[in-house]
Parts: sequence; structure tokens; C-alpha cells
Amino acid sequence: MRRTNNQTRRRDVALVLILLAIVGFWGCRSKFYGAYKAEKTIENTILKNRTFNASVEEICSPKLGIKAYLLKDSHNPIVSLNFSFENTGYAYDDAHEQGIAQMAAALLTEGAGKYKAQELKEKMEERAIRVGFAAGKDDFGGSLLTTTDHLQEAAQYLNLMLTEPRFDEADLQRVKAQILDALKRQHERPERELELVFAREMYGAHPYGRNPLGQAADIERVSAADLRRFVKNKFSRGNLLVGLAGDVDAQSGGAFLDKVFAGLPADKVQASIPPAETEFDGRLVQIRRGDGQNMLLAAMPAIGRTHKDFYPLFTANYIWGGAGLNSRLSQRIREQEGLTYGIYSYLSLSDKSPLLIVGFAATADNFEKAKKLLYEETDKFVDEGIDAEETAQAKNYLTASYHLRFASIENIAEILTAMQKYNLGLDFLQKRNDYIAHIKPEDVNRVIKKYFNKQLLTGVELGEFQPAAGERK
Amino acid sequence: MNKKIVLGALCVLLPRLVAAEGLFDAQEFRLDNGLRVIAIENHRAPIVKQMLWYQAGSTDERIGAGGSAHLLEHLMFRGTKLIPGQTFNTLLEKNGAESNAFTAYDNTVYHQLVDVGRLELAMFLEADRMKNLDIGETDFAAERDIVFQERKERVDNNPSGRFFEAMNRALWQEHPHARPVSGTDEEIKHLTRQDIEDFYKRFYVPNNAILVLSGDIDAVTAKELAQKYYGNLRPAGKKSIRSDFSAPPEDFKATVDMKMPQIRGNRVVKIFVAPSYQKQTEDVYSLMVWAAYLGEGETSKLYKKLVLQDKVALNVSAEFNPLSRSYGTFAISAMPAKGTTPEQLLAKIDQVWNEEMQNFDQKAAEKIKRKMLAGLVYMRDNPEDAAYIVGAMAAAGASLDEIEAYEQNIKAVKDADVRKAAQKLRAHAPQVTGILRPEENTDETNK
Repeated sequence: MRRTNNQTRRRDVALVLILLAIVGFWGCRSKFYGAYKAEKTIENTILKNRTFNASVEEICSPKLGIKAYLLKDSHNPIVSLNFSFENTGYAYDDAHEQGIAQMAAALLTEGAGKYKAQELKEKMEERAIRVGFAAGKDDFGGSLLTTTDHLQEAAQYLNLMLTEPRFDEADLQRVKAQILDALKRQHERPERELELVFAREMYGAHPYGRNPLGQAADIERVSAADLRRFVKNKFSRGNLLVGLAGDVDAQSGGAFLDKVFAGLPADKVQASIPPAETEFDGRLVQIRRGDGQNMLLAAMPAIGRTHKDFYPLFTANYIWGGAGLNSRLSQRIREQEGLTYGIYSYLSLSDKSPLLIVGFAATADNFEKAKKLLYEETDKFVDEGIDAEETAQAKNYLTASYHLRFASIENIAEILTAMQKYNLGLDFLQKRNDYIAHIKPEDVNRVIKKYFNKQLLTGVELGEFQPAAGERK
Repeated sequence: MNKKIVLGALCVLLPRLVAAEGLFDAQEFRLDNGLRVIAIENHRAPIVKQMLWYQAGSTDERIGAGGSAHLLEHLMFRGTKLIPGQTFNTLLEKNGAESNAFTAYDNTVYHQLVDVGRLELAMFLEADRMKNLDIGETDFAAERDIVFQERKERVDNNPSGRFFEAMNRALWQEHPHARPVSGTDEEIKHLTRQDIEDFYKRFYVPNNAILVLSGDIDAVTAKELAQKYYGNLRPAGKKSIRSDFSAPPEDFKATVDMKMPQIRGNRVVKIFVAPSYQKQTEDVYSLMVWAAYLGEGETSKLYKKLVLQDKVALNVSAEFNPLSRSYGTFAISAMPAKGTTPEQLLAKIDQVWNEEMQNFDQKAAEKIKRKMLAGLVYMRDNPEDAAYIVGAMAAAGASLDEIEAYEQNIKAVKDADVRKAAQKLRAHAPQVTGILRPEENTDETNK
């Protein structure tokens, strides 16, 4: 519909008139409509040549020598800090203290140094300083958002939280009660129950099999002294990764980091957990409960972020179940058959057990059929592979969507931390689209054959099932 | 009737507003066909969020055809006469767009986050499906099944989803908010293609929509492109977008006491029918201040008194939502602590409301307003958030001046206004009290 000059427009008008006479209005309309070329719209757009200045520098704080990746962005007077202490996540909790990392994450903002919980929160709210902590499986993460006006106070408060958390008894008891309650309520929603059983089934006694919130009996026992020991032993400059983004430069950023992380020990914490050993034998353990739908969560073994197969496998997953409505699984099971509201897959990159995970929910009457189609599509994926066009489509998406991740300053800081965790290099943001561009259809087909296999899909299904033969209801 | 007062106040404030910095410094214009366009500049990354807000949602459905608005939202991804079948999705995918939509009581919203170089494609496609939608019988049947599955996933898999539906039915009575946005199971099963086409033809017109472009685009370009892609769409005649639904009568009080087998611990919720940008607008900012003071975050009065001091609750929060074409809501939710019954907790909540209403003086007002206004600059960070906030407020009837003047409007709130608004709500607003309990009352938390 967009024409480049008047001459062609006149020619098209003439053509349309002739066609109108011959085939009638409807035929003409579809012919005319069929002429839409998206490439022309993109080629001729007036919004060209916009770029994102993705230059990342590595800074080193002057006093403590803390290294961090910095992306300077002065569009708003905001600073976002993201950091993580590696190998201190909930899987690293002592076996008799399951849940302590999560408790620490909840309690670090509950008062520090001379400031009791309420006083500290009031101070931060009035200055719009936002701090949060989270205990992941592998790492313990933190984030801070502040305006540049209050950069100094923000550094001071965060430093106190990391080095002198109060863990006052009343706060400790309250947070305990909240976590114990949350632990019970996990079973209210089927998808939470599914995840918990999935973790147990995949990992058994391995720490990855734990409930992320911990064990009730352990949580009850945790004391302020235990939490202080946790902080002292786990947080160090040696296992620290830092991403910094916003209106801050190498100099002010370096001074800020010195202030935030002052007082942390330099030594790296010695901690390790064994590799996870999962038996991928295609079993689906059944959990019986009645909700609106049945659900499935299953996984195949995959590879880590730095493995040479990462990019082709990432692309293969995108085509199989990662592409939203356009993925093969969605097309077949949702769009064609209407069996589910959503089926999805993703690469889960935990340190000890990278997985390719797939899941969906469907009413009991649709469930078996959807499952059958999942297996069928997986077989087809392996047997027939993907063609050049499908690869090109996936690569186009992955490349063209690249800038979307820079929508928020907090997200940028998080990416900077992840770049260090996975050793992606300072120039990753410039190079990432080249990595995608180099993926060839044959690479993708090779990894499909290597990693995809329905007989490996192991996990859990939940819902209402017909009793098995010989089983009494 | 109160509109005049607000307008008068705005006129007085206006000279000051122009000089002051707005919340987003957005710009607004209207195309000849009536499409309202709002552009919000944010040049950090070369991306733009396009959101098209239709002023039509479940509120506007024919009685008995619940779920029409939502099913139409789904079918909008299933092809037009020009862009058939799945082409819409594949074109956007090839071009790296994140594309989605949602349906609410008063609006149906389509949105894409795209690299700025692909914005024109997204605009072309969005404009195309405003007029050329082509609903095939097979697609219709498949998509009706999909929205049925969606309802199961969102409501039936989530016990508190069912609880809130029951509360809304009890509270809103004859008002459209009583009906779930998704439609009920039976309604979804009986929807016809005609229901969807009627809804589409009636409401999907430029003079019933708001286009928001937020990101790496200036207002002049936004206007040029809006004109180019949406300018040729023809407006429909005067539509009757209703907002005059009657609320339950003053002093109406309902109770929902529900037990569900999945539930592991009690919770209580109180919802009041509240002012909005359309109704009793003079109380909107006062109630924002009241909600923040009473129950937003862990320094709020409810949290301090019920969680920290009296230890009768594990959590408590208040939320005021004035974004509605008719009435807003003011809600309080809480989870009782061990040893406290839901009834005791509800009584405590009422007690705190009453005490704090009397304690709320000028000093308290200034303090909470300072907190509410700290960090407003964060609003300028993420173009997606900005598009959502501006779109939702505009769709609820707030003018751009009003949206921009948030800071001034909050500052202008007087402690006496807050006490009055809070008192009016508590004493006279229609309200529902809900208790959700485990099926077997053997749990120790209920003792």
C-alpha cells in the first residue's frame, strides 16, 4: 500500500480498475491486499539509524579494588546497582538450616546499624531509595535504586545492611511467621505445588531439590546469631559480582562501590555443592488434586551459558516452545487445536543442572491429547529438523528484539551482573547480535538431534486422572 | 456535578502547572477522525511502546454475552482481510516485537514493544486490524476453546480468583463490575461469531480509542505517523459508551464467607465502592493520600498497628483504584496471625481506620505526601511503564494536564479533605466484606 512515487501509484490505480472490471470487487480486494510488503515499510521508515550506546566499561573502585561493569546513562538522574554473591543461594544453605538464605534476604532490610527497621524504612521511603534482596538457587542477589541526590545516603544504608544488620528479635519472629505461613500457602495453587514436586523429583536429596523457602523445622530454629553468622560467612568481596548503570561515571561509581561494600571481607567464600544427578528416563510422576486444569512440567538435560552449543540450542528452543504464539508447540497445541491457553519451553541455566523445561495446563478432557501432541511435535522436530527459513525467522526475532531489554535501568544493571557471571566479556552487548548472526541451520539441526528426545522428558503431571488399570479409585 | 468544581480548580492552578515540570512531559493531539494520540518521549534506548486503548471492555457487552470483549481481543491476532491468518504474528515476530493485549472492565488494550525502526510496521498492522478484521469459523471455534482454557487457568486454578469473583458479584449487584471480564464458563461456550462481530463493529473505531506512543520518538514524528497510519480510518457516529450504571445503594453492605479445599490459611478482604476520575472526582487525590497513609507499604498505619504492634495480622495492605469509567474501588486485604480470627481482624481494621482518621492532621498529611512524591523521576525511566500509566489514566477520563499535574494535585490535598473523604467512604460507601477460609477448620491458625 505504500508507494514510492506517483507514477507507480497511477499505474496501480489503473491496474485496480481493470481488475475490478474483470473479477469483481471481492476478488480485486484480496489481490490488492495481497500486495502488502512489510519489508517496504521497514525499508522506508523515517525512524532510521537509531542506536543504543551500549559501551560498557570495567571500573575498579579506588580503595577496595572492587571491579564492576558500568554502563553510563545520563537520561535521568537515577542510579541502579545490581550485585550478587556467588554460591550463597538457598541450595548452599547448611542441610540443617534450610531456609536461612531466604530469611536473611527478608530481614536485611529490617534495620541496620543504629537504625531500627521502621526508622530505616522511613528514611529510605522519604528519599525514594529502594533496596531488595533475593536468595536464588545458586546466588544471593541484591539491588538498589536511587536518585543521584541521595547516592551517598543510599550507599550508607546498603552498607549497613550488608555489614551490620540488626536482626532484632521482634522482626525475626515476624518474618519467621510470615515465611512459615507462605510455606503452607504454597499448596494453595497447583502450579506452586507442581514446581515443588518437580524439584524433588528431578533432584531428590540434592540441594536443588529443596523447597526454596526452606523447611519449617529449620526455619523455626534459626536465631539472630545464625543469621549474623550467615552474613559474615557468605558475603565477601571475593564472591561478589557488580553491575552499575545510570547517571554515574567511573569516578563517582568507584567511590560509591567503596562505600557500599566497605567492611566486607576480601576472601572468597569456600562453598560447593555436588553436581546434580538426575535420571532422565521419561517418567511423569502423578500428583492427584482437583483444580481447574491438569498441568505438566517436564525437562530434558541441557547445557550451560558458556558451552559451544549454547546459541544453536537457544535458537532451537525458541523455535520449539520459546517463541510464544509462534513456537511449534503453540502453533500445534494452542492455535490449531485450542487445547490450552499456553504451552511454553525455556532454557533454565542453573549452575549445576542446566535444563530444557516445558510446561502447559489444560482441562482434564484435553490433557492427554495435548500431551500426545507435545510428544509428536518433539519427534517431528528431531526427525525433520528445521529449515533455513525457520532459522532465519528465529534469528530475525532474536536480533531485532535485542534493544527491548534496555527499557529499564534496573534491567540494564542486572544484565551487567549476568555478563560477569557467565564471562561474556565487556563487549558482549556489541557482539551479541553477531553471535546470533553466525548461527547456521545445520548447527541448529545438529543440537536438536543431540538434545531433544521425548524419551528423556522427565517430570511431573498434576490434576485429575483416570485410575490406572487395577488401581482402586 | 462535581466536575465543575474540579475544572474551576484546574483553571486557577493552570498558570502554575504550565511552568511546573509535568510527570512525563507528554504531548497530546487528536486526529480529525477523533483518535486521541499521546506521545511520551524517552530517548535512552531505540525502542517504542505502542499501546492502543479501545474504550470498550466487558462493561460494554450485551447481557448474556459475557466474554465477548475478551474473545474479540484474542481473535484480533487471527488475521484480517489484508494480513490473513497468522501473518500478523509472524510479521511482528520476524521484526522482534513483543506483542500482546489485555481486556478489562472498561478497555481492551493492544500493545507492542518494538525497535524504533519497526514501529511503522507495528502501527500499520494495528491500524489495519481496526477496520479489516476477518473472523473465520475455524479460528473462532479454536479461540473460544482457548479463552475457556484461559479462564480455567486464571480463575479456577487460583482459589483467590474465585473468591474475588464472588465478592464482586455480591458487591456490585446490577453494575457490570459484578460480571467477570472473562465471561462465565457457560457464557463463553455460547458466544457466537455474531456477538464478536457486533462488538468489533460498534466499538473498534478511531473516535473510541487512545493511541499512546512512548519511547524514542518525538511528538512531531508521532503525529506525522499517527496521521499516516490511523488518519484514514473512518470514525463511527456517536456511540453510546455508557458510564451511568447505577452502583449499589448508599449504606449497602454485603458479606461473603467462603471455604475452599485448597486454602491453607484465612484471609480477609474489604472492598468499598469508591470515587474515580469520573465520579466524585474531588475526593480522588484525598483518597490516594489516605490509601498511602493507611495501608501502602510497611510504614503504613495498618501495618504498624496490626502487624508490628498488636501482632494480629501477618500482612495487611490497602489499595485505591480510581481508574474506572464509572466507580473506583478502595480495598483492604489482610492475613490473620496465629490466634486471631478473621472476624477479630476485620474489627481491628475498622478500629485502626477510625482512630487514624482522627489522628490524621496536617503534620501527618505533609509527611505522607512527601513520601508519595519522592522518586517521581523513576516514572521517566521505563517507556513501557509510562505508556501503561498514561494510557490507563487517559482511558479512565483524566486529561493529560491532570496526569501531568499529579505532583501539584497531591500537594494540594488538605488534611481535612482526607478525613472527610475517608469518613464518607467508611460510613456510606457500598461495601463488601469477604472471608476466605480453609475447608476443614482444623488448622491451628483458625483457633
